[in-house]
Amino acid sequence: MSSDFQFEEELFTSQVNTSTLVRILGAVRPHWKWVAGFMVSIGLVSVLESFFTYLGKRIVDDGIIARNSEALVQTLALYGVLSLFFAALVFSFIYLAGVLGQRVRYDLRKKVFDHLQTLSFSYFDKTPVGWIMSRVTSDTERMADLVTWGMLDVTWAAMNIVFALIFMLTINWRLALVVLVMIPVLLRVALWFKNKILVEYREVRRLNSKITGVYNENITGVRVVKALRREEANRREFDDLAEHMYRRAFRAAWFSALFLPAVQILSALSIGAIIWYGGLQVNTGDMTIGGIQAFIAYITFMLWPVQDLARVYSEMQQAVASAERFFSLLDSKADIVNKPGAISVETMRGDIEFNNVNFFYQPEKPVLKNFNLTVRQGETIALVGPTGGGKSTTVNLICRFYEPKSGAIKINGRDYTDYTLESIHSRLGVVLQTPHLFSGTIRENLRYGRLDATDAEIEEAAKLAGAHEFIMTLEKGYDEQVGESGVLLSTGQKQLISLARAVLAKPDIFIMDEATSSVDTLTEALIQQGMEILMKRSTSFIIAHRLSTIRRADRILVIENGGISEMGSHSELMRQKGHYFNLYMQQFREELETQYDPFATGEHRAVTPKDQWVPGQVTAAGD
Amino acid sequence: MLPPKQTYTYDVRNSLSKNMVRGFWRMMTGFRLYYLVAVVALALSALMNTSSFLLVRHFIDNVLPSPNVMQIAPLIALGFAVLAGLQGTFSALSGRFTAKTAEGLALRLRDAMYDHIQRLSFRYHDKMPTGELLSRATSDLDAIRRFFSEQAIGVGRILLLFSINFVAILLLNPDLAVKSIVAVPVVALVSFLFFGRIARAYEHLQEQEAKLSTTLQENLSGVRVVKAFARQDYERDKFEVENAEQFRRGRRFLIMHSAFWPLTDIICFAQILFGYYYAATLVMNGTLTLGSYLAYAALLTQIINPMRNLGRLIVDMSSGVVSYKRMMQVIGTEQESLVAGNFQPAADLRGDVEFKQVSFEYDAEAPVLHDINLTVKAGQSVALMGSTGSGKTSLVGLLPRFYDYTAGSIKLDGVELKDMPRGYLRQQIGIVEQEPFLFSRTIRENIAFSVGREVSDDEVIAAAKAAAVHDVILTFPDGYNTLVGERGVTLSGGQKQRVALARTLLKNPRILILDDATSSVDSETEDTIRQALLKLMKGRTTFIIAHRIQTVMHANQILVFDKGRIVQRGTHSELMDEPGIYRRIYDLQSRIEDEVEREVADVIGLPV
Repeated sequence: MSSDFQFEEELFTSQVNTSTLVRILGAVRPHWKWVAGFMVSIGLVSVLESFFTYLGKRIVDDGIIARNSEALVQTLALYGVLSLFFAALVFSFIYLAGVLGQRVRYDLRKKVFDHLQTLSFSYFDKTPVGWIMSRVTSDTERMADLVTWGMLDVTWAAMNIVFALIFMLTINWRLALVVLVMIPVLLRVALWFKNKILVEYREVRRLNSKITGVYNENITGVRVVKALRREEANRREFDDLAEHMYRRAFRAAWFSALFLPAVQILSALSIGAIIWYGGLQVNTGDMTIGGIQAFIAYITFMLWPVQDLARVYSEMQQAVASAERFFSLLDSKADIVNKPGAISVETMRGDIEFNNVNFFYQPEKPVLKNFNLTVRQGETIALVGPTGGGKSTTVNLICRFYEPKSGAIKINGRDYTDYTLESIHSRLGVVLQTPHLFSGTIRENLRYGRLDATDAEIEEAAKLAGAHEFIMTLEKGYDEQVGESGVLLSTGQKQLISLARAVLAKPDIFIMDEATSSVDTLTEALIQQGMEILMKRSTSFIIAHRLSTIRRADRILVIENGGISEMGSHSELMRQKGHYFNLYMQQFREELETQYDPFATGEHRAVTPKDQWVPGQVTAAGD
Repeated sequence: MLPPKQTYTYDVRNSLSKNMVRGFWRMMTGFRLYYLVAVVALALSALMNTSSFLLVRHFIDNVLPSPNVMQIAPLIALGFAVLAGLQGTFSALSGRFTAKTAEGLALRLRDAMYDHIQRLSFRYHDKMPTGELLSRATSDLDAIRRFFSEQAIGVGRILLLFSINFVAILLLNPDLAVKSIVAVPVVALVSFLFFGRIARAYEHLQEQEAKLSTTLQENLSGVRVVKAFARQDYERDKFEVENAEQFRRGRRFLIMHSAFWPLTDIICFAQILFGYYYAATLVMNGTLTLGSYLAYAALLTQIINPMRNLGRLIVDMSSGVVSYKRMMQVIGTEQESLVAGNFQPAADLRGDVEFKQVSFEYDAEAPVLHDINLTVKAGQSVALMGSTGSGKTSLVGLLPRFYDYTAGSIKLDGVELKDMPRGYLRQQIGIVEQEPFLFSRTIRENIAFSVGREVSDDEVIAAAKAAAVHDVILTFPDGYNTLVGERGVTLSGGQKQRVALARTLLKNPRILILDDATSSVDSETEDTIRQALLKLMKGRTTFIIAHRIQTVMHANQILVFDKGRIVQRGTHSELMDEPGIYRRIYDLQSRIEDEVEREVADVIGLPV
């Protein structure tokens, strides 16, 4: 529970961390030509914009006032030619920055996805899927925006101010100094507003997600709300929250609405000063009318970026916060990797040995203690015992999803960390309690077991696993879509498919976590048939819930409190009248109750949420 | 800043209309004046801006040449500052009233939606997925808010800027004015056409984004399968395909943008240069003053540039319209009244229940209950047995009027149930479910959840003690103030159930419904819960849904259901004396005991 708190979203960091900023910039390094391209484009755009204003001055001073048609036409022609050039530059910076943004996002997503594929179970067990999803989807987008549009905005702002000043200084340096004095004042005001607005918007955001949460709960719990007649009280509570939201949202909008006029008034003051002072200079001949016009234009020109300051700054802050989370994911190391010099072998056939294996997820809570076990090639082992006793851990260790903290696991006489991960994993067949399918067709899902399998082989595997018949009843047979995560199929059907998938893989080691939810009798029989095939061919470890499976095993291990408390065949263990006896009798009674259900209609119960094995739940690992 | 009073006084349901414009107009009841102020202020602000250009004109044409320029120039500068000040003030005023309208309307809708959702019928909620309702209440609502705060006012702004500045140019020189707007319809049209396409390209991009998310999500939740088959490379390729497609669509979207802006730039430049040229020649041949030219040069950009955004705003507005429709679909659904009923009860129920030939169905073609007859005296208990889907839960759902029976009559204390207000019934009836729903609040709040008054700590603790959960609560770090759910502690099934029991105890209902309340509990807590339940049942009419003979045998009356009919009824001993399902259940349950015993005995004889 408390471990989830580190995954809370902090949308803004209080400070912009420069080292993170440098690292974000690293994302565009391979594309530095694109960056140079849009920077140059936007720089030229800024120069041209300043120059257009200057041309406007020339039209007035050299054309109109001087009554020189030729100069007028010449200036306009230059203006026209440059405007075509300007349009080309606009195209270039939007294209370069925009497409680069898409490219950077693509790169970042690819990079993080590839990295995710290498991470170990320990990472997924403690990290919520939703958290990872946001890193891959929204954080990459914010970072890409920062290195493209963000950089573009900043460059443009800086260029605008610099070029406007340069042109003003050329036209009349004394007046330019007057404007220069205004700039610090403007920045001060802009920063003050920026902070105010940011604070308000953060609060609005926070309240907004709170309101969504309240809505969500009231909709999911609507039946209880109605049954308990809570409508009025809920409404009153919600009114308070919504009113609070109104107040903050209104304030945020009000500050934003004030910001622009404040900046405008300040600029008007400087324009006033220019008219006053510049007007006097016109008389003395130090200033032209076109010059005054140009000055007014340059001032507005410098203001655009200032008006944008709050937005750009807040986006930058968000992007940096995003990047920090993103990099934390990218920096997490896989704790299970190939040892240097690990060998790659074709087969994992052979005996499996646990030698004094110790394992824990948290040091203060050992899960396996001095665990010893030898399993002969081809043997079928049933693992039974209470939840949290260490069954799943044992299986996870065999799969090398985790490695022993001390002691060793040997396959075919050799410490299994001497083999590459790939050679172990490719020889496994795993069927989970809640089978996981991918969206796509049934055929694609089956082929997941062996990518080079032919259609005939796929069909054969499905027949062996008892899945063929139900597949043929589907309209499109093997080409039927299974839906997102297989939602269009029932649990029993998903289990059959995942069994067939494992059969196709022809594994040397077969691992199965039997479903606890009941399926109809026919499907149950088919599942048993599929398991039989796999158990015959491979060394098998079954986390068993059904008596038929338990009875069929060569050996039964009762695992509790981090070790094997009882081991032997069914009859041996029964005679001991120990834990196994109790577990067995309890299961025996339960199965009889289902079997003798006087109301049984053949329907199967829906799977309850607690049956589902959700990666990322801390408890799942401890099972 | 409190929200304006009129926020709450308007019933949003009145704004339902087939005509979208009328719908928006009605929805704005109480805010129309504000919006009008916002628009007028916006116009005034634009007017001040235009005036300042005209002031420049006056300065250049009349002041500069005059000998008094030294005296007048400061006044002009002051005038300029005042105009700017007014422009800023009006623009801020407009922003304030826009915010008041948009946020006020958002608040009104948010509140209305919240309350409306909790007053929709069970039948509605059965059909409507949570996510769907949630997205209407949040993202659609936000789209409507943006419609009022940005898009509607944005379009207004563009049109005002255009007309005011156009009139100003018209005053300077009518001929020039006409020649200055040649490009305007072109820009508006190009912008509208482009943004239609850009919006579609964006939609494609979003679709692909959703696909990419699904691929990612399946990879993450299926990480065990991916690793177990060592399919990392395969997964990389799969992601690569979607990611690359996303990149291609993103590029298409951006190419459109990168074509639109320079294209309209060229049109705007052409118009501006033409205007400059024409105006300059007018000055040179003496038709136009120099000051007018300068004013004109400034006004011209104010006409053309905003037009480029018109298309985008109009396209964005259409998303506001779609959201409005989606939201109104929910608002337009009939609520179920909590207070309506011909009988307005003055006191608590006694608890006499009578069903006469009651039938009920969710869908016309699938009847759930047939011809149910049943009499329960106040304070008695009735047990309901039967398979899943035999109608037990549907029957008890009729009492609090979660659903209304479709034929026959149900009387409570002699009054027809349909004449009783739902709110009253739900106050008088308490339900304990198999998997109770707790809210993410503190345990104390959860226990006091159904009581419409202030509850003392003593009362809460007494209820928790009676439900045998007090000791458990004290083991939590924050005791009764411990948060339940995601942000707090996770309660076990049995603990949740006992909290729900305490909740029902405090509610003190006259009729009690126990829906499979002990089946999901482990054997240790089962006993404590059973004790608590027995206490709760005392003196109340109780309906018990259960599977085990043990649980039902002490009930005053036992009903056995099959396919929506009562097939057997009586006390335990009566039912034991007649052939039928009940005795079969009993037999089977004892047969299980026998077989278990035999299995135990067999152990001795197992082969070595």
